[in-house]
Amino acid sequence: MIKMDGIVKKFGTQTVLSDVSFEAKQGEIFGLLGRSGAGKTTIINILTNQLKPDSGSHKISVSSYETGLMLDEDGLYDRLTCLDNLHVFADIYGIPHKNSSEVLEKVGLENAAKKAVSQLSKGMRQRLALARAILHKPKVLFLDEPTSGLDPNTAQGIHKLIQGLQKQGTTIFLTTHNMDEAVKLCNHVLLLHKGKIVEQGIPTEICERHNATKTVPDLEAVFIKMTGEGLS
Amino acid sequence: MRSVKAIFVKQAKDMTKNFSVLIMFVIFPLVAFGMTHFVARGNDDIADTMFTTMMAGIFVGMALIQSACTIIAEDREKKSLRFLVIAGVKPLAYLLGIGGVIFVASLLSSLAFGYIGGFNRNEFVAFMVVMMSGAVASIILGATIGIYAKNQQAATGLSMPIAVILGFSPMIAQFNERIEILARFVYTQQINVVVNDFSAGLTQPLVVIWLNIAVLAVLFIAAYAKKGLRS
Repeated sequence: MIKMDGIVKKFGTQTVLSDVSFEAKQGEIFGLLGRSGAGKTTIINILTNQLKPDSGSHKISVSSYETGLMLDEDGLYDRLTCLDNLHVFADIYGIPHKNSSEVLEKVGLENAAKKAVSQLSKGMRQRLALARAILHKPKVLFLDEPTSGLDPNTAQGIHKLIQGLQKQGTTIFLTTHNMDEAVKLCNHVLLLHKGKIVEQGIPTEICERHNATKTVPDLEAVFIKMTGEGLS
Repeated sequence: MRSVKAIFVKQAKDMTKNFSVLIMFVIFPLVAFGMTHFVARGNDDIADTMFTTMMAGIFVGMALIQSACTIIAEDREKKSLRFLVIAGVKPLAYLLGIGGVIFVASLLSSLAFGYIGGFNRNEFVAFMVVMMSGAVASIILGATIGIYAKNQQAATGLSMPIAVILGFSPMIAQFNERIEILARFVYTQQINVVVNDFSAGLTQPLVVIWLNIAVLAVLFIAAYAKKGLRS
């Protein structure tokens, strides 16, 4: 579905990706893990043809129309309402406006449909950006740090949405520096450090391989269970 | 065509809520109206159309350049343009959509100027033709500056000196012969020539304005080829 083979990318004299190769299969959630500056966003930029690699090849087995994208910088139109933001892309894709309302409901923003984006919280903006990414029902969805800076409750809501999209057959390619998120969501992960792949495989198998299965009490889950709300 | 329409509708909605851009299309006709009614019409030494033609020239030279480059710079700064391009919007469709809204807004402002000026039918037609030709030139120039501006602040910094020179050169040319000779080759001066003496004819000014448009289009294509919209 998504394949990269021997990708090298340099910015000036700095090598940001060094011989990166992997393959993400159809219908799986593929996680790209690494610290800030590891090269995660550069990989997404190359896969979505926003950047050209210096060498190597990459391929996605669907057209660019069948891909959706959510980046850390949301690019939403602040002065327009949530619905109008989606209508812009519905018009570009040539899909009916009723799809915009449906997708807003899906991400739980139906009550904010007429609100200007400038009035939304960060979590609501993230959900709207996700709504825009899935508006045209893409087969491949790229999510760059989808829960970065969100409270646990909102993050959990986005996790459910991502899992729901996977059940519908969408292949999801997500970057994160949150290891717990990767273990929870991903079928396959790739650990990236300073532009090089240091490990890849099924999360639990990787942990077992490195004898790193943790049994730390998950207080966050207890708090949400007891209160029904996140920690924010 | 679908993308052009989508961008046009988006920009039209956005502009009604974007005070800093909207004001540029309102303030110049408003000043022209005030000065015409409260200064020119009560003073026999000042032609009734003087403030209308002066403000109309400054409007084409300043407001349109500034609004075109500010809008493009904002879309680039906030990464909105990136999502449009990924969704398959071609640069030309984007620029036609944005430019189309500015063109329509400038048409409305020019109609207001035409009404305030109290021109007869022939004068009004000549006024509109020359104003809208100038609008095309300014929109292309604004878009070219927008390509080079990294953000809105840079857009203002880059466009303001150019806009001031173009907007005010016809006025300064009245007092300095050398500047007048140089200004003859600039579209804002030709607009000024037409609107201040409709009997002088349209052909030569229009040729100069459309030559300006051709040169600006070449500059725009060169800038786009070098920088692109997303860089």
